[in-house]
Amino acid sequence: MRNTKKVAKWEIKRNMKNKTFLIGLFISPILFLAFYLIPDLFNNSDEDPVSTTVFVNDQLGVYEDLEATVQQAGAEWELQPTDISEEEAAGALESEENSAYVFIDERAFDGGVLPVYQSEEISPLFMNEVQLLGAPLQAMQIEELGLTPEEATVIAQGVVFEDASAGAAAETEASAGMDEDLLRSIVPGIFAAAVLLSIVFTGMAIFQSASQEKKDKIAEIILSSLTPGELMQGKIIGYFVLGIIQVIVFIVLVLPVLVWKIDVPILEYLFVPELALMLVIAILGYLLYAALFVGIGATMADISTAGNFQGMIMMLPFTALIFVGPVFSDPSGIWAQIGSYIPFTSPAILILRLSLLEEWPWVEIIIALAILVVSVWVFMKLAGKIFKIGILMYGKNATPGEIWKWIRA
Amino acid sequence: METMLAVENLGKSFKDKKIVANISFEVKKGEIMALLGPNGAGKSTTIRNIMGIMYPDEGSITFQNNQNKEIPRNKIGYLPEERGLYKNVKVMDILLYLAELKDYPLDRAKERALELLKKFDLEGKDKVSVEELSKGMGQKVQFIAAILHEPELLILDEPFSGLDPVSQELFKNEIRGLAQNGTAILLSSHQMNLVEEMADRLFLIHRGTKVIYGPLDDVKKQYANFKCTIHGVNERSLLESLPEVERVEQTEESAVLYLSKDVQPATWLKNLPAEMDVQELSIDRISLHEIFIDIATDKNLLKREGDLDA
Repeated sequence: MRNTKKVAKWEIKRNMKNKTFLIGLFISPILFLAFYLIPDLFNNSDEDPVSTTVFVNDQLGVYEDLEATVQQAGAEWELQPTDISEEEAAGALESEENSAYVFIDERAFDGGVLPVYQSEEISPLFMNEVQLLGAPLQAMQIEELGLTPEEATVIAQGVVFEDASAGAAAETEASAGMDEDLLRSIVPGIFAAAVLLSIVFTGMAIFQSASQEKKDKIAEIILSSLTPGELMQGKIIGYFVLGIIQVIVFIVLVLPVLVWKIDVPILEYLFVPELALMLVIAILGYLLYAALFVGIGATMADISTAGNFQGMIMMLPFTALIFVGPVFSDPSGIWAQIGSYIPFTSPAILILRLSLLEEWPWVEIIIALAILVVSVWVFMKLAGKIFKIGILMYGKNATPGEIWKWIRA
Repeated sequence: METMLAVENLGKSFKDKKIVANISFEVKKGEIMALLGPNGAGKSTTIRNIMGIMYPDEGSITFQNNQNKEIPRNKIGYLPEERGLYKNVKVMDILLYLAELKDYPLDRAKERALELLKKFDLEGKDKVSVEELSKGMGQKVQFIAAILHEPELLILDEPFSGLDPVSQELFKNEIRGLAQNGTAILLSSHQMNLVEEMADRLFLIHRGTKVIYGPLDDVKKQYANFKCTIHGVNERSLLESLPEVERVEQTEESAVLYLSKDVQPATWLKNLPAEMDVQELSIDRISLHEIFIDIATDKNLLKREGDLDA
C-alpha cells in the first residue's frame, strides 16, 4: 500500500506540473462558462431599448383595464392616454418611432373593429400583440348585452380544444408542482454526472499513462522497485485524485456563477443525502472504467496504433448514450432496467434514473449496485493480469488472443 | 566472500520454446560477475527472472541466503536493457521518485543525486526536462538512478551499449569503485573487451544454456590457448606439419595457427623451419572476444575443447 501511495503521489505531481494537464484543467470550466454567459451578453444588448409606446385615445373609460391587461401579458409597451384625433395621429406618427395610436370608441360595439395607426419602424409582432386589448373590450361588450355574470363568464371563456390523453392531463396537472421537485432531484444528479464524466475523462489519461510508460520503456525500472499490482493501483488512485481536482476546479469556477445567475437555491438542493449514493455510483463507475483503461493501455505500444479491439473497449463507457433516450422517456421502463444491469452503462443510467424518478426503485438499485461492485472486482483482477504482462511487452500491440491467454494464465 | 545472489537451475519457457535452462551461478559481495552471450542468448531473460519481473518456471533464486521468496527490492539497483525515462519531467524529480520507491531517505537522495550528476558531467542538469537530454545523458541519468540508493546488489543489463568511449570509461571506473566498496555486481554484456578488463568471474551463456562459468583468469587459462599469427606466404601443408598445431586459418598473406593447450611458446618457436616466410609474427592467447565469436557462430572450437576437457 505504501508503494501504491508513492505511485499515486507521483502521477498527481507529474500531471500537476504538466502544462497540458493544467491547461485542460481550467479550459473545460472556462469553456462551460463561456458558452453559458456569452449568449446572455448578446441578448441583453439587443433587447433593452425595444419598447413600444402605445397612445390610447380612450372614449369608453377602459384605460385602466387595458393597462392591467398589458401588464399581465408582459408586453413591452408603454401605455399612454391621449386625446389626439385620428387625422392628427397620422401626422404625428411620421415624426415618431416605435409608437402606435389606438382609438377606442363606440365602434367597438358597432362592428367590433377598432383602428390602429402604427409608425413605420415597429416590431412586426405588434399587430398580434395589440389583439390583447380585445379581451377587456369584449368583457365590456358582454356587459352591454346585459347578461348575468355567470352567462358572461361562459361566453368569455370561449371554446378551447384540449389534448385529453391521460399522460398529458397528468403532466399538466403536475407541472406546476413538479418544477421544484424535479430541480430538487436533478441538481444532485447533474452534479454526480459531472463528477462521473470528469473522473472518467481524467481516467482516460490512465490509459495514456500506461501506454506511455511502455513507450518510454521505464516500466521495467519502476517494476524493479514494486509489483505490477502496486503500480496499477497507484495509477488508478492517482488519476482518481486528479479527476477530483478537476471537479473541484470546476465547482470553484462554475458554481458561484450558476448560483448568481440561476434563481434556484442550488446549494440547498445539492447537499442532500441522495447525493451520497450518486457519488458512490460515480466512483464505482470510475473504478470500472479505470480498470478497463489501465488494462488496455498496457496492451498497446502507442495510442496511434490502437487496433479495433482496443478501440472498441475504449468506447464501452459511451454505450450508456444508447440508453439515454429511452430512459428519459420512461425512467422505469424495460430499457432503463436493462441499462442499470449492464455494468458499463449502469453508472450513467443509474444516475440519470435517480434524478428523474421521484420514487427510487430500491430493489433495482441494490441489484444494479451489486452487479457493479462485482464487475469492478472482476475487471480489476483481469486488468491486473493483463497489466502485469502487457506493460513489459515492448514494440507491439497485444492481440485479443494474447490477452485472452494472459487472462487465463 | 558473502554470496549476495544465488541462481540455481533456472529455467524459463515462452510458449513451448525454452529460453533458458539449467542456469546456475552466484554473485558475491564486492565482485563483478559478467553474464556474457550473443544477442538472444537469454541474458535479459535471466536478469528479468532475478528481478522478479518474470517468474521462473524452474529453479530458484535466493538473495543473501534469505530463504523467504521476497525479493529485497530496496537493496537492488537495476539498469534494464530497455532504456527509458518519463519524458516531460525534470531529472531531479525522476531521480527522487525512483529513490523514494526504494525507500531511500529524500534528503540523502537529493544530496547524492547532485553529487553523482556532477561526477557524470551533468552538473546543473538537475532541473532540465528529461526530453532535452541526449541519449548518452539519458543513459547516465538511468545509471545514477540505479545506484542512487546505494544498492548492495547492482544488476546492469548491457550498461555500455550506446556509450561513447569517454562515458564508457566513466561507467567502468564507477562500477569498479562500487565493487571495491563491497557492492555485488552482475553485469551482462556482449562487449568482450570491456568484460575482460573488468570482470572477476564470468558466465557465458548461449542458446539459453551454460557454456563456460568460472573466474576470468581460469577461463582464460583453460580456454584461451595460444595462437600464432604469421604474416607471410607459406604453404598450408608446411604450416599443418608443424607440431602442436590444432587448426590453421589461412588467408593469402597471413595465417593463424591455433596451438594445443599445453604448448610452451618459447620451445615451440624453435621448431619453426628456416625456409618459412615470416614478415611479422606474434604469439598471444585467444581473446575472450574470439572465444565469444567462436561460440556465437557455432564453429565449435570450444565445444571440442570442452570435449577434450571432459
